[in-house]
Amino acid sequence: MNLTLVLFVVPSVLLLILLNAYPLAFGLNQSVRDGSLLDDGQFVGLANYTNALTSTAFWEAARFTLIFTVVGVFGSWIVGLGLALLLRTRTPARGLFKVLLLLPWVVPIVVSSTAWNWLVATPSSPVPQLFEALGWGTPLFLADPTLAAITVCIFKVWVSFPFMMMMSASALASVDPVVYEAARMDGASPRQQFTQITLPLVARSTYISWILMTIFCVNDFPTIYLLTGGGPVNATTSLVVLAYRSVFQNFETGSGVAIAFLMTAVLVAVSVVLYRQIRKVDTA
Amino acid sequence: MNSIESVSRLQMSRRGFLGALGAAAAIPLLAACSPGGAAGGGGGAGGGGGAGTIKFWDMPWGQANYSRAGKDLIASYTPAAGLGAASYQSIQWNNYYQTFSSAIASNTGPAVSSGSGFQAFQFAEAGKIAYADRVVDALKKSGSYDDFLPGVFDALRTGQGQVAIPWQMDLRVLWYRKSLLEKAGVDVPTDWASFLSAGKALKKIGVVGFATGAGSGFNLGGHAIVSMMINNGGGMFDPEGNPDLVTDRNIETLEFFNEMVSEGIIDPAAVSYTSENLLTQWKDRKAGMGINTPGWNASVGDTENDVLVGEPLVSPNGTKGSLYYVNNLMMYTATPNQEASEAFLEWYVDNMKTYWQQKVITAIPVRHSIADLPEFQENAQNVKIVDVWQPISQTYSARSTSSFGALAAVDGGQGMQTFSQTVLAGKSNPKQTLTTFQAAIESLMKKKS
Repeated sequence: MNLTLVLFVVPSVLLLILLNAYPLAFGLNQSVRDGSLLDDGQFVGLANYTNALTSTAFWEAARFTLIFTVVGVFGSWIVGLGLALLLRTRTPARGLFKVLLLLPWVVPIVVSSTAWNWLVATPSSPVPQLFEALGWGTPLFLADPTLAAITVCIFKVWVSFPFMMMMSASALASVDPVVYEAARMDGASPRQQFTQITLPLVARSTYISWILMTIFCVNDFPTIYLLTGGGPVNATTSLVVLAYRSVFQNFETGSGVAIAFLMTAVLVAVSVVLYRQIRKVDTA
Repeated sequence: MNSIESVSRLQMSRRGFLGALGAAAAIPLLAACSPGGAAGGGGGAGGGGGAGTIKFWDMPWGQANYSRAGKDLIASYTPAAGLGAASYQSIQWNNYYQTFSSAIASNTGPAVSSGSGFQAFQFAEAGKIAYADRVVDALKKSGSYDDFLPGVFDALRTGQGQVAIPWQMDLRVLWYRKSLLEKAGVDVPTDWASFLSAGKALKKIGVVGFATGAGSGFNLGGHAIVSMMINNGGGMFDPEGNPDLVTDRNIETLEFFNEMVSEGIIDPAAVSYTSENLLTQWKDRKAGMGINTPGWNASVGDTENDVLVGEPLVSPNGTKGSLYYVNNLMMYTATPNQEASEAFLEWYVDNMKTYWQQKVITAIPVRHSIADLPEFQENAQNVKIVDVWQPISQTYSARSTSSFGALAAVDGGQGMQTFSQTVLAGKSNPKQTLTTFQAAIESLMKKKS
């Protein structure tokens, strides 16, 4: 009997070792070496970590990653929740709207980034032309460092809100309408219903979606790289882009992997905080 | 919908959750970084080469039918007695360096390959390249060596020997649209002063005078700046190969770029332009001049002989020059038989003209005999590039004569992108910009040494 149980467990354990433990250990080993894509290099201790933590490029990338993540998570959540609430009402052609609103999430990022590039990249692109027609000048959305950062963040919100909308919609569907009916009978205003009923009852789902979106944003490479490549002048370089450049452009595997591990550590810390919030909701 | 609901209701233990989270965050990048983890079909896809077979890896350097022509060429190879035959494997450009790296690290790579720019130098520094000095000797003996254009062998030589054999070239040359210059009422520029005047005249008719780009994944802006630095007698390295950017010639070049930006000759959005943006600008007849690659007229779709190669500009210091890359053919230490690798490579460079004869490639050849082919002579712009631009062009390592592996990281690295975007933004202090870039290059070279 015990042998049977062991035999059942072995494939899963092997898979876990192969897919989790081995890459993790391999990566840790690389992060303490000065290797390249061709050779493992020499053992350098924690030099890659200290170099990263003392470099301006790392902290500039960390700053942009923070902004990108905060805007990405809360921007997409606000838009997603708003649309989910809107779609709960008896809107005509609701099904069609749902499908259309899902498109930014469904369309491959390569396609959407190309479309956004076409929309904003050059002075003769449609959006700068619209601004010019409105008398607001011709903004260089991807050439100006500040505007490029804003554009990338808005692009991220646009790509991500359908996911938040779906998460919110499923959570809202689980709220019993009787609760709202009772609140209305007690004289609760729509605002009070939203803050006192809707938000608390979807809190668990909200925290989970925040955790997931935080991971998506921090690890998001294509959204940034395809639109701006991290530029102009590093204005949109996030930590994951910096790690990619270290490994695949500067051919410094150790530095890149060290940055990836630092990112992971921060992600875990943020997720623990949010996970604690979930437990609070569960025990409330 | 149900699956999302089930996710939201999922009961996770904290430990299990953290384990999954850590793995999810770390695995993709780490796996991609692994020398053995991004094989992409490299060594295992050796094209059916058996024991003793020389595996030849080649990228699609030309049109869609290039790889077919390559396969046919290799199939026609008849080795001398006792030497292995050759097999052909096409390697896609996408992530090609990772494909080679992982295959070579796991000893499943090719015996001979084509490669771009500095690939051979990088692998040579890792001890993976079999130097080609004996092939050079054989080419000298057969007389083929003298058929190569001047300087192309030197570009691939280090203190240790000949890292590779020249295969074709990639140059940065000045292109202009004839009709737009005529519309602006200016002649084709011949020096920096007339270039500036032409740029200003083009600006007046709403056309960009120096079309370039330094957006995502696009290095042309950096190449254009380095080309102009070389044109002005500057460069990135001193004759000993040490970074030497903060020179009067380079400062003068960057001041010229500042002037072009302030005059509106360089598009203010060029900083973020991708290759597609630039191509659209040329196709829409919004670009009058610019430094670009051979074959740019074909890319633009010019059928009216309107997009033409200009003359190399004469700098204020009376110098001429531009940037070029000598793409090459290299041999690896992991070969079933070094003698067979050398025999194959010698045969290949004497037979590679078939690509130009079949018109499956538009690249600039490194051999006079190929440049003299009627099929090549049909393209007047390419002929001009060979006749006028190649003799004055220098490699990335200018003013040094030898190249090294770290140039790959310099060329495609973060430092170059930051440098080019800073310059094209036009608000830079030239000396400070060059000092910052020099520090970035020194840091890269220090790590690689």
